[in-house]
Amino acid sequence: MTDLPPPLPGEEQRLHPWSWLFALQQQVQQFLLPLLALVVFGSRRDDDVPYHHWISTAVVVALVVAAVLQYVSYRYRIGTDALSIRSGIFERTRREIPFARIHNVVVHQNLLHRMFGVAVLRLESAAGDKPEAEMRVLKLDQALELERLIRHGGSTAAAADADPAAASDGQVLLTLPLPELIRQGLISNRAMVVIAAAIGASYQLFPRQVTSDFVEEQGRHAFGYASQLQLGTLTLVISSVLLLAFALLLMRLLSIGLAIVQYHGFRLIEIDRRLTVERGLLTRVRSSVARRRIQAWTLREGALHRLFKRRQLRVDIVGGGQQQEQDGRALKELAPLATPATCDTLLQHLLPELQWPPSQWRPVTSRGWWRLCLPALVLTGILSAVLVYETGRWFGLLPLLWLPWSALNAYRQVTRIGYSIDAQRVAIRGGWWNRWWRVAELDKLQALRLDRSPLDRRFGTATLTLDTAGAGGAPPLQLRFLDEAQAHALMAQLEREMVRRKLRW
Amino acid sequence: MTEPPAFDTPLPDDNPWQPLPPRGALFAAFGSALSMALLFGIACLVPMLVSQQTHWLLAASAAALAGALLGAWFGWRRHRLTFWRLDAQSLGVRRGHMWQSESHVPISRVQHLDLRRGPIERAAGLATLIVHTAGTRMNTVAVAGLAHADAEHLRDLLARQLDHDDDAL
Repeated sequence: MTDLPPPLPGEEQRLHPWSWLFALQQQVQQFLLPLLALVVFGSRRDDDVPYHHWISTAVVVALVVAAVLQYVSYRYRIGTDALSIRSGIFERTRREIPFARIHNVVVHQNLLHRMFGVAVLRLESAAGDKPEAEMRVLKLDQALELERLIRHGGSTAAAADADPAAASDGQVLLTLPLPELIRQGLISNRAMVVIAAAIGASYQLFPRQVTSDFVEEQGRHAFGYASQLQLGTLTLVISSVLLLAFALLLMRLLSIGLAIVQYHGFRLIEIDRRLTVERGLLTRVRSSVARRRIQAWTLREGALHRLFKRRQLRVDIVGGGQQQEQDGRALKELAPLATPATCDTLLQHLLPELQWPPSQWRPVTSRGWWRLCLPALVLTGILSAVLVYETGRWFGLLPLLWLPWSALNAYRQVTRIGYSIDAQRVAIRGGWWNRWWRVAELDKLQALRLDRSPLDRRFGTATLTLDTAGAGGAPPLQLRFLDEAQAHALMAQLEREMVRRKLRW
Repeated sequence: MTEPPAFDTPLPDDNPWQPLPPRGALFAAFGSALSMALLFGIACLVPMLVSQQTHWLLAASAAALAGALLGAWFGWRRHRLTFWRLDAQSLGVRRGHMWQSESHVPISRVQHLDLRRGPIERAAGLATLIVHTAGTRMNTVAVAGLAHADAEHLRDLLARQLDHDDDAL
């Protein structure tokens, strides 16, 4: 299997001979929980049924046969400007994917793939949540070669002309050395998310009674142990604080580990107007997107980012869907972590006509800024009322202490909102404690909306929302607190600009 | 990037904002009344049943009636305050009284169009036009209760641009 010919345009080809194994692996992964349940809960009761081993064997054989059939029936052909894929035995599918419609290419290799020297190739267009094609699996060289072909729009002449060494290397725009990975781990605190997810999963996987019993029992043990020691109140407080600190430390360490696993060997590469990101310690992912497919750009800076003097640069791309975002496969993070100067240089480099940061942000009016702390006012008000009613003590009013902070945050936030429009792009900034900047090209705007709430009308303001494609998960391109006349003028101006330009994906 | 290009004088509003045909208001009011009545009725019924009150049927009916009246009023007003406009560059939809919104979809950003007619809408000669864009939060802009002829006219006008788009496969 090592001497497969390289993919030649025009010839129909099959996947890697080991493909059926990985198809099987995916199926098993999908049905892992039901299978596990069958094995664990099914085996006890079915002891008296003599056939149940046969049933399990039949299921396994069926899965293997399905995987092999999938391999046998899957063929692809690289055309001049499209990739055509035939698949299916009973229900045959033939799919033509024009190279011009492919937005993202992802080469994905988990540990098992790496042991066999193969990779999964995913091609994504703008449509839908599922990838346009998922080639499971190709030899790594073949996958990279196919990726290169797609990059050159399928034209073999261009691919052959380009110097292979130069084409494969490109220009490295960003790498993340170990200290950066540690910072990323400290800032992102992903362990919290992972642990929360694990707790949720354990509640789903095991019967509820077992889980809660386990938690209760452990709690009782711990409490019993603590009361046996007969500690004083002070010692108890100190030890619980220490315990908490230890847990936090452990969490941070775990986060750092996760960041290293996820971002080890991170490289952002630019190869003839395509951006490619490679990363991963165990599972290697290489995803690439054409620069013009990027719908909008987001810079983020949270409080922790500020502490470490770092920022994050993300992009919106179409397709891939939410699932891909969670798996971290889609290319969304151009720079998971970089200094503000590096981020600015990157933006400047990738958007050459952009002046970044803009020399002047146009502000919005700060009339009625306190509206932003209305939710906090209502929440803390209710909380305090309930606490005072229940306890009858003054410290029920403590939640109200949040209000000055909330007011400060609201005021800063409103005074920081700003926008800037040039001939090509619109930039919006917002947030104060957690800051963000968004840049979108005018020809990638899709729709506009102007909203006015009763309070907006009272203060003569309006909210203008600009919609772009693939913007899920990013702060909306939204300008609140715009003066009403200003909002109408801005909307008309943006609309004229959008009408003048054709939509370019 | 300091100064945006100077605003041109706003284009004359060649096409005024069009209201929806009044006959649809009745249906809008009825539909809204029904859903509000259900909501109010159930919201009233559940706590009364839980606390085992005696006059639960009467109270729930009263709540449902109040909900129906409120819903009818809201539905009627929302319908009467919905306007649309198609000019040379974009389709505009304006709605709401307390919370007002005005959406604009430039014709060149329309991806595809749906015209939907349920049995009630067919009986009343109405239609719902759904405009799909590639956006995220505003990926559909729907105008319910358009006159059927208007809706078809709008669809044809908007779809004609799609044919002109040479980017299509």
